[in-house]
Amino acid sequence: MLTEIQEGKALNPVVKHITQEKINLYAEASGDFNPIHVDESFAAKTPFGGTIAHGMLNLAYVSEMMTLAFGRSWLSGGKLRARFKESARPGDTLTINGKIDCVEQKDGISYANCSFECRNQKGEMIVAGEAIVKVSSDKK
Amino acid sequence: MPDKTISYEELIPGYEFPPVTYELSASLVSKYLKAVDSAGDEFVPPLAITALAIATMAGSIPLPPGTVAIHASQELEFFKLVPIGATIECHTGVAQKIARGKMSMLILELEVFDQGKEKVQSGKATIALLT
Repeated sequence: MLTEIQEGKALNPVVKHITQEKINLYAEASGDFNPIHVDESFAAKTPFGGTIAHGMLNLAYVSEMMTLAFGRSWLSGGKLRARFKESARPGDTLTINGKIDCVEQKDGISYANCSFECRNQKGEMIVAGEAIVKVSSDKK
Repeated sequence: MPDKTISYEELIPGYEFPPVTYELSASLVSKYLKAVDSAGDEFVPPLAITALAIATMAGSIPLPPGTVAIHASQELEFFKLVPIGATIECHTGVAQKIARGKMSMLILELEVFDQGKEKVQSGKATIALLT
């Protein structure tokens, strides 16, 4: 977890490798068997040309980074807005980065406003967004 | 279970899918953690709850043949910790439906409550439908 909540502080990055096996596992765990994720022959005929990872799988990695940084403050008081810009594909390595853009006080509570992005090994943006975490005042 | 008898045309803003209840068992959470390649603790990862709610909605949407549904954006807010073993109820519905040429967008809302009827998370998913 972060020991200091301050503006400009980078969050520890998370790096994940995407495989079709992981996508299939995610489909089973979530119940989302959309063929664009799990049916290679269907996906090959779409404009994507092959299977892609679930957007929510990519977002789970973002949430992991936020959990590592903020712990239960994120799990019980986090808020995020994410845009899925490009698709992650089997074979991709995703790196999720984030930082605290600013710390705001509202009604005696501190909020860490963060930005995050998830890029593949080519540097293409897969997910971008913002997150807000309610942090206790003793962590300012 | 989700109502699959409605047509895509009947999915209009204000439509609510039948609520779905899940028991967040240790095995279900463990399966999720393995899928996302992550360690866990005694609480359910909030994205595991969202994933179930979204899959429920997505599975309920009767898409025209050949349509590809893609997640375009997601908003989420978490309100409380959910322990493993808890039972949750997912309420989902259609907030907006937009058609732009060959692409349509469905904006879906979700709210998840625990067994004490307390809200544990809410959110909004934008799904792009490509024909």
